[in-house]
Amino acid sequence: MSNRITEWIDQRFPLTSFVKHELTGYPTPRNLSYWWNFGFLAGFVLVLQVATGIFLAMHYKADIALSFDSVQHIMRDVNYGWLLRYMHSTGASAFFLVIFIHMARTLYYGSFRAPRELLWWTGQGLLLLLMATAFMGYLLPWGQMSFWGATVITNLFGATPFIGDQVVVWLRGDYTVGDATLTRFFALHYLFPFLIIGAVVVHLVALHTVKSSNPSGINLADKDNIPFHPYFTAKDFFGLGVFLIVYSVFVFFMPDSLIEPANNIPANPMQTPNHIVPEWYFLPFYAILRSVPNMVGGVVAMGLSVMMFAFMPFLDRSRISGGAHFRPIYRLQFYLFLLDMLVLGYVGYVPPTSQTMLIGQIATLCYFGSFFLVPFISRAEERWLIRRGLPQGIITLMESEAQDIEKRKLKQHLRKGDKHE
Amino acid sequence: MNSFLKIALLFCFSLQAWATEAPLENIRVATDVATVERGADALMDACHSCHSMKYIKYRDLLNFGMDQQKVESWRGDQPLDAPMLAQMSENDAVQAFGKAPPDLSLMTKARDAGASYVYSYLTGYYLTADGMPGNRVYPETKMPDSLGIIGVTDAAQRSEIQGKARDIVSFLAWAADPHDQERHRLGYYVLGYLFVLTFLLYLVKNQVWSRLNKSPTEQGAI
Repeated sequence: MSNRITEWIDQRFPLTSFVKHELTGYPTPRNLSYWWNFGFLAGFVLVLQVATGIFLAMHYKADIALSFDSVQHIMRDVNYGWLLRYMHSTGASAFFLVIFIHMARTLYYGSFRAPRELLWWTGQGLLLLLMATAFMGYLLPWGQMSFWGATVITNLFGATPFIGDQVVVWLRGDYTVGDATLTRFFALHYLFPFLIIGAVVVHLVALHTVKSSNPSGINLADKDNIPFHPYFTAKDFFGLGVFLIVYSVFVFFMPDSLIEPANNIPANPMQTPNHIVPEWYFLPFYAILRSVPNMVGGVVAMGLSVMMFAFMPFLDRSRISGGAHFRPIYRLQFYLFLLDMLVLGYVGYVPPTSQTMLIGQIATLCYFGSFFLVPFISRAEERWLIRRGLPQGIITLMESEAQDIEKRKLKQHLRKGDKHE
Repeated sequence: MNSFLKIALLFCFSLQAWATEAPLENIRVATDVATVERGADALMDACHSCHSMKYIKYRDLLNFGMDQQKVESWRGDQPLDAPMLAQMSENDAVQAFGKAPPDLSLMTKARDAGASYVYSYLTGYYLTADGMPGNRVYPETKMPDSLGIIGVTDAAQRSEIQGKARDIVSFLAWAADPHDQERHRLGYYVLGYLFVLTFLLYLVKNQVWSRLNKSPTEQGAI
C-alpha cells in the first residue's frame, strides 16, 4: 500500500529522489566532530521560537497601555503561559549561543574558504536577520530596558549622513519610541522569522551544493563520505538531547537569569534606568560602540564589527587545509579572539568608567587588528609551515585525496570516451 | 571549550548585582503557605494602604491555599476577582509622599539581588546624625519606616521585626512568580525524561555508527 502511495506521489512530485538526494544519499564526511551539530541545533531553535512565538502572539497585546499587563497575563493566568514565555525568552539566548558556536566552528576549521564563501555569506545575512529579530522582540514586553534599549539603538540611526533625523523618525513612526514603534516592531518581529526560514533554505541549498567541510579541511574521497541518514540524523538527535538538557535547566530553574531585573518595571519615558545594558549576546558589539568617542565613528565601528566575518574568505590567505587544526598560529589567534570577545562582553556589561573605557578601546583595537592581521599572518604562517615540513598525517591525506581525484577524473574521462565511441 | 566559556560568561553576567553600594543581607525566601500567609498578613498591615499588588487577585490567594477567613477580611466587599489595589489613591499618595508608591507585584524580580535587596531595604532604616530617618540601601527613599525598626535596640524585638520583613519578602517573592514551585516540579520530570531519552539516543547513535568499518581517517591519520 505505502509503495503504491509513494509511487503515486513520485509520478507527480520528486519525493523519493528528494529524500535520497538530501538525506539517505547525501554524502557527509564521516570525520565530522560534535562541533558540526550546531547547524542542526540552530534550525531546531528556530522552529522552537516560531512555535512558542505564535502561541504567545495569541495572548499578547501590542499596545503601550496593555503590553506589559498582557505579558503578566501570560505569565500568571494563561495555562502554561509561563512555560511558553520562558521557553521563548530563553530560546532567544539559546539561539545566539548556538549560532556563536556554529560561527566559531566555521572560523576555527576555516570552513568559510573556497568553495564555501556563499554559504558563509548567507550565514552572515542570517546573523543580521537574527539580530534584528531579537532586537525588535526585546521591545515587546515594554519594560524599562525594552524601552531604553530601543531608544538608544534607534538613536544610532541618526548617524546616517544628511537624513539621519528623518531615518530615526521613520524607524520609530514617531519622534520618540512609542505606540507606533511597538506596533511596527511587533508586526516585523512576526514577519522576520519567516524571512529567516527563507534564508535558511538558501543556506541549505548552498550547503548541499558544496557539501559540509570537515576537520581535516580537505575534500574527502568518496570512501570517507557516509550518508547523512541514518548516521548524522542519529548523531544530531543525540546532540539535541544534550542541548535540551542545558536549555531545560535554564527554562525551569533559572529563567530570570536571562532577563534584566529592570525589565520587570513598566517602561517609563520620564525615568532613565541607572545603567542601560543590552542582552548578553549584543554586549561585545555594544562595547565597541561605546569605545569610540565619536557617535558616527562608534556606529560605523559597531556595524563593521558584525560584518567583519564576511571578509574572512578574502583575509585568510593560507592554503594549508584544516583551519586551525594544522595551523598553530591561526589557532592561537582564534583563542585570543575568543578571549577578546569575552573582554569586550565584560566591558559592555559594566557601567563605563575611565578604566573600563581604556580596556574597551584596547580590546576594540585587538578585535579589528586580529582581522586585519590575518592576511599577513596567514601568509607568513604558510611559508613557515611549508619550510618546517607539514605533519605526516596531512601529507598522507592530501596525497591519497589527490590520487582519488585523479582516479575519478580518469574514470570520468574513460566514460566520456566510451560515449563518444 | 568554546561553549564552556560562553556558558561561563552567561553565568557571570546573570549573577552579578550592581544596583546598590551598601552591602545587602542575603536571605533565602520561604515558600511554604504558612510563611507566605503571614507575609501577606504583615503586608496588609504595613504596606497595602499605599502600595498596590495589581497582578494578584484575592482569588489567587485562596487558590494558593491561604485561610479563607483571612482573605475575606482583606478583601472586604470587593469581589474575589478584584486585583489587590492600594487603599490610598495614587493622587493622594503623590500628595503625601511626592512620588507614587510603586506596585509591588513584581518587586522582588525588578531589583538586582531581588528578595535580598527588598529585605535589606525594609530593615535598612536608621537614625541619621541629625536625627532624621535614613535608609542605608536606598537613601533617596520617600517611604517611612513602616516596620518601625528605627531605634529598636533590643535584640529580640529586632529579630522579630526582621522575621516580619522576611515573611513579607517571602510573600512578595511568591507574588512575583506564583508558578515558581510548579515550574521546579515540572522541571525535574522534564530533566529526568530528557536524561533517559538522551541516553537512549546515545545508544542508538552508537548502534548506527557501529555498522561502519574503520576508515583511514579514523585510524589515526588525523
